[in-house]
Amino acid sequence: MNRAFDYRAATSFSEALGWLAEMGSNARPLAGGTDLLVNVRAGLMTPTCVIDLKPIPEITTLSFDEGEGLLIGAGVTINEIIESEVIQQQYPLLAICAHQLASHQVRNRATVVGNIVNASPCADMAPPLLCLQAEIEIQGNDGARWVPCATFFTGAKQTILKPGELVSRIRVPAAMQGAKGGYKKLKRIQGHDLGIVGVALAALDSAVHIAVSSAAATPVLVKPFSRTDDLGTVVAAVCEAISPIDDVRCTKDYRLFMAETYVKRLWQEVVA
Amino acid sequence: MKVKTTVNGQVYERETVPYKTLLHFIREEIGLTGTKEGCAAGECGACTVILNGKPVNSCLVLAVEANDAVIETVEGEGAGNELSDLQAAFERHHATQCGFCTPGMLMSIRDLLRRHPKPTVEQIKAGIEGNFCRCTGYVQVIEAVLDATGQSAKKGELKHVS
Amino acid sequence: MYHDASPESLRYVGQGPARLESKQKLTGQATYVADMAMSGMLHARVKTSPHARARIIKIDTSKAEALPGVRAVVTGEELDYRLGLYVVDKYILAKGEVRHYGEAVAAVAADSVVIAEKAVQLIEVEYEVLTPVLQPLDAIKEDAPLVHADLGSYDYFKPAFTPQPGTNIVNHNKIRKGDVEKAFTEADYVIERFYTNPSVQHVPIETHVSIAKWGTDDQITIWSAAQSPHTVKNLFAVAFKIPHRNVRVQVPYIGGGFGGKAGIGLEPLVAVLSRKAGGRPVRLQATREEEFSLLPCRSGLQQRIKTGVSADGRILAQQMTQYWDAGAYADYAVNVQRAASYSGSGPYEIPNCWVDSYALYTNKPYSTAYRGFGHVEFHWGIERHMELVASAIDMDPLEFRLKNLLRPGSRTITGEEITPHTGNVIKCVETVAESIGYGKLTDEEKEREQRTGRKIGKAVAALQKAPAMPPFTAASVVAKMNQDGTVTLNVSLTDMGQGTYTSLAQLAAERLKFPLEKVHVAFETDTDRDPYDWQTVASKGLMLSGNATILAAEDLLKNAYEVASQILRATAHDMDHDDEKIFIKHHPGRSISFKEIAVGYAYPDGNGIGGPLIGVGRYIAQGLGHIDKETGQGLPALDWTYGAHGMVVEADPETGEYTILKIASAFDVGKAINTGLVRGQAIGGMLQGLGTAFCEGYIFDEQGRLLNPSFTDNKIPTAMDLPLEVDAYVVETAQIDGPYGARGVGEHSMISVCSALGNALQQAVGVELTHMPMRFEDVWRALNNKTPIDNWITKSPVGSCRSAPELRRHE
Repeated sequence: MNRAFDYRAATSFSEALGWLAEMGSNARPLAGGTDLLVNVRAGLMTPTCVIDLKPIPEITTLSFDEGEGLLIGAGVTINEIIESEVIQQQYPLLAICAHQLASHQVRNRATVVGNIVNASPCADMAPPLLCLQAEIEIQGNDGARWVPCATFFTGAKQTILKPGELVSRIRVPAAMQGAKGGYKKLKRIQGHDLGIVGVALAALDSAVHIAVSSAAATPVLVKPFSRTDDLGTVVAAVCEAISPIDDVRCTKDYRLFMAETYVKRLWQEVVA
Repeated sequence: MKVKTTVNGQVYERETVPYKTLLHFIREEIGLTGTKEGCAAGECGACTVILNGKPVNSCLVLAVEANDAVIETVEGEGAGNELSDLQAAFERHHATQCGFCTPGMLMSIRDLLRRHPKPTVEQIKAGIEGNFCRCTGYVQVIEAVLDATGQSAKKGELKHVS
Repeated sequence: MYHDASPESLRYVGQGPARLESKQKLTGQATYVADMAMSGMLHARVKTSPHARARIIKIDTSKAEALPGVRAVVTGEELDYRLGLYVVDKYILAKGEVRHYGEAVAAVAADSVVIAEKAVQLIEVEYEVLTPVLQPLDAIKEDAPLVHADLGSYDYFKPAFTPQPGTNIVNHNKIRKGDVEKAFTEADYVIERFYTNPSVQHVPIETHVSIAKWGTDDQITIWSAAQSPHTVKNLFAVAFKIPHRNVRVQVPYIGGGFGGKAGIGLEPLVAVLSRKAGGRPVRLQATREEEFSLLPCRSGLQQRIKTGVSADGRILAQQMTQYWDAGAYADYAVNVQRAASYSGSGPYEIPNCWVDSYALYTNKPYSTAYRGFGHVEFHWGIERHMELVASAIDMDPLEFRLKNLLRPGSRTITGEEITPHTGNVIKCVETVAESIGYGKLTDEEKEREQRTGRKIGKAVAALQKAPAMPPFTAASVVAKMNQDGTVTLNVSLTDMGQGTYTSLAQLAAERLKFPLEKVHVAFETDTDRDPYDWQTVASKGLMLSGNATILAAEDLLKNAYEVASQILRATAHDMDHDDEKIFIKHHPGRSISFKEIAVGYAYPDGNGIGGPLIGVGRYIAQGLGHIDKETGQGLPALDWTYGAHGMVVEADPETGEYTILKIASAFDVGKAINTGLVRGQAIGGMLQGLGTAFCEGYIFDEQGRLLNPSFTDNKIPTAMDLPLEVDAYVVETAQIDGPYGARGVGEHSMISVCSALGNALQQAVGVELTHMPMRFEDVWRALNNKTPIDNWITKSPVGSCRSAPELRRHE
C-alpha cells in the first residue's frame, strides 16, 4: 500500500466500537477490504488505523429460520450468498444480484454489508435487499437498533450511520421467502463492470417490489406494486422515483430508457 | 507486526508493516515474484493467489489479514521443475504471450478446476472473467483448459486458404 | 529469402512449436523489470499536473526535501534536456509550462514508495491556469492558443517532417495522385462523411517501469520495460550529450507493449534522480492511473472523406483530410500521421486521390505508437465509408469492395505498383465473407432472431498496413556456437509477448538444419551485448530480423565450413552437414563434428585452428525512399500485409445492446512461420480491436482533465466479451524478400475490427455509426436519430463517476 496506517483486529463488536470511539474518524472498519483498500490507495480515505472486524466470531453468521428470516453477518462474502442453498431456494434474487457483482476474486472477499455500507448508487446488493424489505442492524455505543434498508441510504456514498457506528447484520424477513425475482444490469462490457443502470424486481403473492440502482444519488426502492397493476402505470412510477444524471458512463436519457425497458422486460419475465 | 503464513507448503514468518498488502508481502518479504501487480485496485486479477482455498486479488488483502493463512501461488503450481498438466496445456496451446497475466490466470483456473473438474466453455470464461489478458484474446487459454481437463486435445487451427 | 522453398522441404517453418520461454512464464520464473530489486535501490514517485494547460509560477520542494528518507527531489528548472523521436519537443519534467493533465512537474526518490508518495504530496506547485486547446479542429484555427510557442526553434527529422512554427501543426503530409476536382465533376455520385476516434490506452498489464543507475564517470545503466533498447540508448545519449558507449540499456521480459513502450519513457527521469541521489539505483513504476496520462496514449483522429463513384460502382476520386490529435508532444504521433497519409485510402485502387493529413498539438496527454500505428483509426473511417458509399449507390458492400480492391497492376496512392507477389487482399475478403455466410441468414440464425427478438447482421471490412519506419531501417543478429554445438542467437529486437524469438529460432534451425532444441535466443536484451536493431515496432521484426537470422546462420555455416575444409582437406562445395557434423558428400564417413570446431579445433598434437564460431547477419530495408513532400509519391513500404475481418453481430433493435456471434479474420502473411503464434496474434489483436470498438476511449472534461484513467471507467475486454465463434485464416502469397516468404502480422489483426463491427451493426439494425467507440448507448442513439454523444470532451456535470482521485476529492 502506498500510504501508512495501523491495524487492529477486533474480537468483539464492543471492542471495535470502543476503538472507533477512541480514534474517531481516523479509524475505519475493515471487512472484505475491496472498497476500503481501494479508497485508501486513491487517497479518498486516510485512516490512521483500520479495525479488522473479521476476528469477531458472530460476523460469519449466515442463517435462516422461519421466525427470524435470513440473517447475514457483516463478514458474509458475496460468494457465500451465491453458494448458499437456502438463499438459492428461498431468496433467489439475492444470489442473482450477487452474481452480477464484480469478479469471482472480488466476490470471495467483498461482503454484503460492505456493499451496503459503502453506499454507492451502483451497489449491486442494494436493489435486492430493498426489494426484499431487508433490515439493517446498527451497533453503536448505545446498543443496537434495526432500521429498514429503505431508510439506510441518504446520498451518494452516504448513510444514516453516525460516527462510531457499525453495521453488524442484515435481516431479510421470513415473510419474503419464496419471492421470485430478476435483475437486469446495463454494463459497458459483458465482463465485470459497475452497473450503468440496474433494475431488480421481486414478486411474492400479489405484491411486486422494484428497486433501481445507478439512477439516482442512492439505490431507489419504488413504492410497492400489485401484480394486477397496469404495466404503463408501473413504468411511470419507476421513472418518477428515479433521477438519473449524465456522467462519463452514460447519459440521463439512456439511463431512463433502459430503466424503463428493464422494468417492462422483468415484468414480462417474472410477473406476467 | 508478525505474520506467519504457509505458502506453497512452506512456512514463512516475517515482520511486516501493517499496511503492506499480501501481494507485496509475497513478492518483497517472501521473495516469490511470480504473482504480479497490474492495477493495485482489484480490477485486473494479475495478483490472484489462492488464500485458504479461495482465489483473491492479493492487492486487496493486507498481509496481516493473512496471518496463519494457507496460500497458493503460481510457484506452487508445478512439481519442482515439472509443469503441471495445466501449465503443459498452456504451453502446447500457446496460451501465454507476454506472460504477465499468466500467474494470476493459472491460479484462477486452478480454483475453477477444483469447483468444476470438467468445466464448460462458459464456466471457463466466467472463471477467468476477473483476469485481464491484453495479449491472447483468451481463446487459446480456453482451449488449454479444455485439453488439461481431458475434454479436447484439439489445437485451435490456423486455417490455410489454398 | 527462400520464399519458394517447397513445404515438404521445411522442418520447422510452418509448424507451431511452443514458444521458447513458455516454461519461464508459466512457472512465474520469468523476471520482468517490475520484479527486479537491487541493493541500495530507491523508489521514485512523480508529482503530476492537475491542469491541462498552466504556467508554473513556483514549485516549493522544501517540505519534501526535509522529509526523512527522501534522497533526491528534482524539478524541471534544473533539467535542461529535451527529448523527441522525430521532433525534439519534450522536457523530462515540465519547465515553465504544463501542457497536459498528468504531466510530470517534479519527482522524488526515497527509501520507500510510501515516503516518496508522502514527499510528492508535500511538494507545492503554484500554477497560473490557462485555457487549454483540446480539440484538434480548434487547434488548427489561426487564433488558437499555441501549445508550443517555440516550435520554430525545435530540432526535427527533416527528410520526413514539416512542423509549422506559429501554429499547432506539428506535421502536415500531402498525397497528390491525379486530379480529384476534375474527377469529382465526372462522378455519378459524390458521398462525403466525417468520422471520429477518441484517444485510447494500450493497457499492457505491466505498467511502464524503469530502474536506472547513474554511476561514476557518467556510466549509466538502465533496466527498462522498453520495446526498443537501442532507441532508448540513442535518444538518451543524444539528450544528455554523453557518449553512446556510456549508456547501457537492459530489457528483461516485458509485460506487453503494443507500441506504448516503443520509444523512451521514464528512463531519463529515473536516471537524473539516480544522478542526484549519488548513483544509487532508482526505480519508478507508473501506477495504473499514471499509465493513462503520465505516459502516452493512441492519437485521436477526426477525418473527412469525400468519394466520387461511377454509376457502376467504381471509385473515381477520393479526398481525405485527417486531423490527428497528437496531444501535447509529437513523440510517434507525427509518424503515425505520416504513415496514415500514404496508406490512407486503405487497400483500394483510387485513380485520383488527395490526402491532407495534419498532426496537431493539443493540451491532452501525448500520443504514440499503438498496434496498427494509425491504421485502426483511419480504417474506421475508410471501411465505414466504403459501406456507406455502397449503400448510398444501392450496391452490395462486398461487391463494391471486390470491384475496387487492389490487384496486380493497380497503383497505390503513392504510385507503387501492386505485383502478384504483393499479397492478395481480394482473397482475404472472399475468405472471411464465405466463413460468415455473407449475404444471407441460415435457418438457425433466422430461428435465433425469432427467439431473441434481436436482428442479425453480417459484414466485412478490409485492411492493409506496411511497416512505418525510416526507409533505411536496419537490424542485425549474431549467432554464436556453444561448445556442445548448440547455437545462441543475440538480437536486440525484443520479445514482449508477440513471439518473434521463437520464429527466429525456427528460421535459424531451418537454415542450419539443426533441431529446434539446439537453437536458443537470448532473452533479456542488453545493448552492451546485443547487436543493433532500430526498434521493435511496425510489424517489421520478423522480416528484418528474420532475414538477418538467416544471414547469420549462413555466416556461421560458412565459418564452420572454412574450418572443416582445412581439417577434412576438401572444398566447401564438396561438403554438406547434418545436425551433428560436417562431412564430405562423396565420403560421408569423413566428417568433423560441430562440437569439435565450435570454439576452435585442436589437432591431436594440440595445434589449434579456427577459433570460436560466430555468424553475423545484417539486414537493411532496401529500395525504399522518403516520399515526396509535395506529392506524397514514392516507395515507403517494405511490404504490405493485407487482411480482412468478417463479423456476425446480433443487436437489440430497441436498446442498442449487441453480442458478437462470430468473427472470421484472414491475413496474407506470405508464410506463417509459426502457426500457433500467428493464430495468437490474429485472435489477440482481434479482441484488442473489439475493446477499442466496444467502449475504450479517453473522456475529458471541459478543462481537459482526464475523467477515466483507470479500469473502473476504462474497461478492457474480458473472456466474457469474446465472440461466440472465432476463426483465423491465412493466405500465403510469398513475399519474395521475406524470410521463407513471410511478412509481419503483429498489428494487422487489430485493424478494421471496429469497422467490421460498425458495418455489421448497420446490416443488423440500419444504424449509420461514424463515431468510435460503439457503446450500446451510441447504437441506441443512432437507432433513435438522437445526436451522438461527444466522445471527446464531456459537458456532463461532476458526478461520482470520475476515476481520478483528485477530481473526486473536490466534489
